[in-house]
Amino acid sequence: MHKYILKRIFLSVFTLLAITLVLFTLLQFMPGSPFNDEKLTDDQRTVLNAKYGLDQPVYVQFGKYVSNMVQGDFGVSYNISKNTPISQLIQTRLPVSIRIGGMAVGLGAIVGLIFGVIAALNHNTFWDTLCTAVSVLGVSVPSYVFALALSYTFGFRLSWLPMLYSSKAEFASSVMPSIALGMFTMASIARFTRTEMLEVLGSDYMLLAESKGISGAPLILRHALRNAMIPIITVLAPLIVDLMTGSLVVEKIFSIPGVGSLLVTAIQSNDYNVVISLSFIYSAMYIGIMLVVDLLYGLIDPRIRITKEGGNA
Amino acid sequence: MSELSVSHPLTGDAFLPDDFELRGSTPAEVDSNFASQNYWKDVFKRFVSNKGAIVSLVVILLLCLLAAFGPKMTGYTYATQTLSEKNFAPRVPGLEKFGIFDGNEALRTTSGVKIINGYTQKGLTDTYYWFGSDTLGRDIWTRVWEGTRISLSIAVLAAVIDMIIGMSYGLISGYFGGRVDNIMQRIAEIINGIPRLVVVTLLMLVLPRGFATIVFALLITEWIGMSRIARAEMLKLKEQEFVLASRTLGAKDFTIIFREILPNIIGQIITQLMFSIPTAIFTEAFLSFVGLGIPVPMCSLGSLISDAFNSFTTHPYQIIPPIVVLACLMLCFNMLADGLREAFDPKLKEM
Repeated sequence: MHKYILKRIFLSVFTLLAITLVLFTLLQFMPGSPFNDEKLTDDQRTVLNAKYGLDQPVYVQFGKYVSNMVQGDFGVSYNISKNTPISQLIQTRLPVSIRIGGMAVGLGAIVGLIFGVIAALNHNTFWDTLCTAVSVLGVSVPSYVFALALSYTFGFRLSWLPMLYSSKAEFASSVMPSIALGMFTMASIARFTRTEMLEVLGSDYMLLAESKGISGAPLILRHALRNAMIPIITVLAPLIVDLMTGSLVVEKIFSIPGVGSLLVTAIQSNDYNVVISLSFIYSAMYIGIMLVVDLLYGLIDPRIRITKEGGNA
Repeated sequence: MSELSVSHPLTGDAFLPDDFELRGSTPAEVDSNFASQNYWKDVFKRFVSNKGAIVSLVVILLLCLLAAFGPKMTGYTYATQTLSEKNFAPRVPGLEKFGIFDGNEALRTTSGVKIINGYTQKGLTDTYYWFGSDTLGRDIWTRVWEGTRISLSIAVLAAVIDMIIGMSYGLISGYFGGRVDNIMQRIAEIINGIPRLVVVTLLMLVLPRGFATIVFALLITEWIGMSRIARAEMLKLKEQEFVLASRTLGAKDFTIIFREILPNIIGQIITQLMFSIPTAIFTEAFLSFVGLGIPVPMCSLGSLISDAFNSFTTHPYQIIPPIVVLACLMLCFNMLADGLREAFDPKLKEM
């Protein structure tokens, strides 16, 4: 098991490093320059390049960048807000994004589980069809379509919830973005839970548990759902990652001051440093989540733990 | 062998030719209740019995037809701007008499609802914008179908190239196994470790914006899923007897991979292809929405939604058509893929 964990961690770190290199190389080829103000003379440009270390060889820039990033120093923003450290820009925005993302995942997971269990327990009935239809819709329709629909009906026509994010009413203005973002999670979890539950419900140990006189909630929760949960946890990780993509658009629609909208602004204003840093953070989060889930999976399911102890993963 | 030398094991009597009787007179019975059927016929039958999948297929075909001929059905082109006729509500000849699609538009202001009609204000009795006109006075009907055409072509092209790359990668990796597989899988794992969002965003920034770049960005990220499926199927099949038989007969590795094994997994490949089309449509729409999509004056579903978003509270009719088409496409392709998956693998149907 230790060998497996070490191997996974090593691979993750290597991936992250590879990503940093790719990011860095790609950004060298980007069109435009952070100093494309026409009023700047060539001399001033040279001075600016020297000030930000852009005149040094690429590998020096890269080495310096990696060492800085390990220390949590992402450099300064060139364009969005001049000379502000990026870590500071991110610090204020990350909590907002994480809160909305967390709400979306929580909401999606809980509602999805409930839907999935209901569908499985009422297999081939109206409820099953309804849950399946909702989940097909949720998987197929992009989150920003939901965002726009919600924003128009509940924000604009009915004025129940604020259309745009405001820091004064944090909870109320997070509701619609969370629902819009969480729809995909909800639908996927519901679909998956249903399949897993159906499989578990048909198994021999459920028959045994039932014949031992266990029934009702303990039977479903302790015996069925617990076993069905194992594979569900693995799909949760890629879902969280999909959420990151969705958050870009949803943050734009509701003008949420989060990381996603920062990335969009950075892309549009050629702020290289911010783009690199955010890509790095996104990648790190992604790799971290994948790693945690992989290890968790091993902890939860004894069958996998045993196979992996064999050394060949 | 003319003389029978076999004797009965118990009695020791020699068998005579008359002891045996040929059973050729009555033909072997064929099970007519469960007649054996061609695999593809079976698949087709299961697919046709799936109502959702058939409806999806019809809707997709309809949308394809509209994407092909829609832009030519009105007199407008997707790029012509008539600035004097901007923000007109939908108006359709015939339907206007019934009080719908008559060019009336309700403007909601703080002082109440006000009905305005751009056509009558300008005295245009003979002008019809079936889906209305946008903020630059372009016909939305033409633009929506033009956008559908571009979105669909991007998605289908990217998905097909993905299929070829991913399938070959997965099949080769799975077939050779050992060190080849190990190295190929580590490479795929590292590429997969990079968030799609980051790759696509950076590529779009580095390369010139346009059709080819979007296709390229999509295929760099999407082939991994296909390669996984192909590899898993290969691992299942490569130990089977027909592969051994083929190898014994002297077939080369590549013949076995692409001529012997590939036809057996084509069902899974097609299913995965159908699933990757909506993903590609979605990613393209996402890119356009963020501002990295197809350059103006060309349009895609994503860029239409993005444009209309800015005025979607005042002129909601501008954003509805592209959103409905996008949602329909994604829904139908997903349902079609589901139907195909069930048709190819009936065991799944019980689930």
